[in-house]
Amino acid sequence: MKGVVFNLLEEVVTRHHGEAVWDTLLDEAGLAGSYTSLGSYPDGEMQQLVLAASSALSLKPAAVLRWFGREAMPLLAGRYPAFFDAHQSVMPFILSVNGIIHPEVRKLYSGAHCPNFSFEETPDGALLMGYDSPRRLCGLAHGFIEGAANHYDQAIEVAHLQCMHQGDPRCLLRISLT
Amino acid sequence: MPASHLPDVTAPKSELAADACAQELTRLRRRLDRERSSRLEAETIAENGLRELYAKQQELQLLEQIATAANQTISIRDVFQYALTQVCEFMGWPVGHVYLLDRTSHPQRLRSMAIWHEAHPERNAEFRLATEATEFAPDIGLPGRVQTTARPVWLNDVVDDANFPRMRSARQCGLKAACAFPVLTGQEVVAVLEFFAEKALEPDQRQMRLMAQIGVQLGRVIERRYSEDQLIHDASHDPLTGLPNRALFRDRLNQVFARSKRGKAGFAVLFIDLDRFKLVNDSLGHLAGDTLIVEVAARLQACLRREDTMVRASSAVEGENTLARLGGDEFTILLTDIRDPTDAIRVADRIQEALLQSFTIEGQEIYTSASIGVATSAANYRSADDVLRDADLAMYRAKAMGKARSELYDQTMHLVALKRLQLETDLRQALQNSEFVLQYQPIMSLKDQKLTGFEALVRWRRPGCGLVPPGDFIPVAEETGLIVPLGLWVLREACRTTRRWQQEFPQASHLTISINLSARQFTQPDLVEQVRRVIEEVGIDPRTVRLEVTESVTMGNAERAIRVLSQLKQLGVRLSLDDFGTGYSSLSYLQRFPLDVLKIDRSFISAMSHSPESLQIVNTILNLARNLGMDVVAEGTEREAEVTQLKAMGCDFGQGYFFSKPVDATAVTSLLRHSDGFAPARQLNGERPEGHSLESLSELEARDAAVEGLPERFPTSV
Repeated sequence: MKGVVFNLLEEVVTRHHGEAVWDTLLDEAGLAGSYTSLGSYPDGEMQQLVLAASSALSLKPAAVLRWFGREAMPLLAGRYPAFFDAHQSVMPFILSVNGIIHPEVRKLYSGAHCPNFSFEETPDGALLMGYDSPRRLCGLAHGFIEGAANHYDQAIEVAHLQCMHQGDPRCLLRISLT
Repeated sequence: MPASHLPDVTAPKSELAADACAQELTRLRRRLDRERSSRLEAETIAENGLRELYAKQQELQLLEQIATAANQTISIRDVFQYALTQVCEFMGWPVGHVYLLDRTSHPQRLRSMAIWHEAHPERNAEFRLATEATEFAPDIGLPGRVQTTARPVWLNDVVDDANFPRMRSARQCGLKAACAFPVLTGQEVVAVLEFFAEKALEPDQRQMRLMAQIGVQLGRVIERRYSEDQLIHDASHDPLTGLPNRALFRDRLNQVFARSKRGKAGFAVLFIDLDRFKLVNDSLGHLAGDTLIVEVAARLQACLRREDTMVRASSAVEGENTLARLGGDEFTILLTDIRDPTDAIRVADRIQEALLQSFTIEGQEIYTSASIGVATSAANYRSADDVLRDADLAMYRAKAMGKARSELYDQTMHLVALKRLQLETDLRQALQNSEFVLQYQPIMSLKDQKLTGFEALVRWRRPGCGLVPPGDFIPVAEETGLIVPLGLWVLREACRTTRRWQQEFPQASHLTISINLSARQFTQPDLVEQVRRVIEEVGIDPRTVRLEVTESVTMGNAERAIRVLSQLKQLGVRLSLDDFGTGYSSLSYLQRFPLDVLKIDRSFISAMSHSPESLQIVNTILNLARNLGMDVVAEGTEREAEVTQLKAMGCDFGQGYFFSKPVDATAVTSLLRHSDGFAPARQLNGERPEGHSLESLSELEARDAAVEGLPERFPTSV
């Protein structure tokens, strides 16, 4: 996983809970914690940090990821405004992840494993998003989606119709505007 | 810990410790902030670097892909289609299109190659149609502007632009912004790539640089194609006229031949050879000769074009007639879709007619004609080469028959060709084998009907064939160059024999001998030397020697002719102009040529009695000669009436059957021996009684002519 994700996590944790908590998480996870944005680090370290945060913040790991994703969005919007300004609402933004956002990510962070999402529009205007990755970070995706909706000042609902954590072959999220 | 950080010794221990810690903390925090900010800056620099690198790699990849395609691909279309697609995808431009410069149009303009890239083809149908239908002259529309400026053009809103002919369709298809780039070969715009999008396109330095590089790549592809095309064209076309050359002609002939074997389409080959072309080349120079070839080619082309339009109107099948230059003054025409040989003959006739009009070359009016041989597929040939060969043979026949003629090949021509080949072979041996003999025709003074001299005429006693008519072997001797040694032999033999007569018979001491010089001999650089040597060897008085030349010889290179004739005069010989009235001499040159005798062509003499014009002409020639101080010999005097008339008109000499046919040396010797001077020459003819009727005289002449063959002299052409 690219260092930038760790940087984002540190920033989110630090903003909401202070530097000391981050230091604690690192100690709990037994990690040195030196992450440069362009570097690559073992996925396991992110898992360890999520677990450490889970116990420190009394949240389930999935919830940690969701919180992280949601709170990271404003930071991302600040760093890469172009991706957000290109759209007026959340749905097109989400649809641009495969085609625009992730390719850009790969440009900078060569070797970054960005998952490919499948998209399908339902007749009633909802979006079905398929997620299939061994990292099983569907919680993070959920958080990102919520964060994006917040950015565009829209209310949405995200439902895990299928989940790899439940033994399904892939995750299926249903996203709809409320 | 540095000394400056040591606490103030007066403070309490715990306070000092706390202070120290707080200061330390502050310093550490500042250090941390500095590190963090450096790190963030470094990360930003790295990110930008990576972005740049990525972009450059992509650009390079694009260029490499296009370069690879450009180097491998066979067709320009494929390369451009590929390049266009790659560029559109790379740049994110939804619509792309290519124009190619049409170098054959005047002025050169861009044409749509109908090569498109469309992200959504169905949306662009209107625009595509409009584009392919519009003619873009230089400066007109987007491509026109690029053509003129040779620079990229960016348009923010095509609908709002004054110089955008496709405005309506662009609006219909929702196209708003455009950019176009030149493809350059050196400084020349050879193609234009144009792109369209539904939203604004910002000019981007990077994009322009990339498009410029791509433009150069594609320019090279085009340049290479043009070079290849040029090479192929040059290999198959005549450089002077641009017509197909022999190789291409044979190619086409083979194709048409194969096609005709399969189906019913007939074809014909015309073999065209310009008459007397060498004369023009030699007299006016090679540049003029080349100009004539070019002009003749143009006229032939025009004839063919008329033929095309006529044939196409009436036939369902489209044919393609080919005019080719084989080289020198030889052209060939391949006529396709011939129904029967008369179609081909018609074309040949049309060509003859077209060549009747003079050509103006370097201010001079030149006339030429052609000998045309025709061979058609009606003869059921086995190979295409045979058709060409027969057309060639037919052409030779046309030439032999008198030029400015067309001949359709028939089978006897083969035999004729074979016979000619044999004749040539035998002729080469003839001189060595002493097969030539001279005969002598008397020239009489009309005043006193006395013998003044002889004209030496060469005969060939060919083993197995008897006496070969001069008309059959002299032209061949000319063409093969054998005339040179033959002519020399004639000169020597005639002089020697005459010298013998002059010495043996005192009354014959002033006898003159007239010897023909052919055009070929006249061009020999050592002619004068040869003549001098013969005269010296033989010991004959040069004043008794007359060298006869024809008008064509004097016309060729007039200055040179004057020089040679003058040199011959200096040897002491006399000069005669033969067949006067039938050639093209200009009177001004005639004045300058150092001639002594004019020989009036027999055609005027024989026409005198029934044509007042001919009589006038003879009279005029006599006056001319008198004014120029020249003697006149009337050739072909057959009838007493002619002789009487000529004498009355003041003609000095006559030569012809009325006096005597040519006879051999022994007959002359015999006459001189047994005569008491210059008896009436009719004694030479032994068997001819006095008062012979005109009819039987001409019978006699006809029989003699059949044996001797006419014309009795060297041909007038080179």
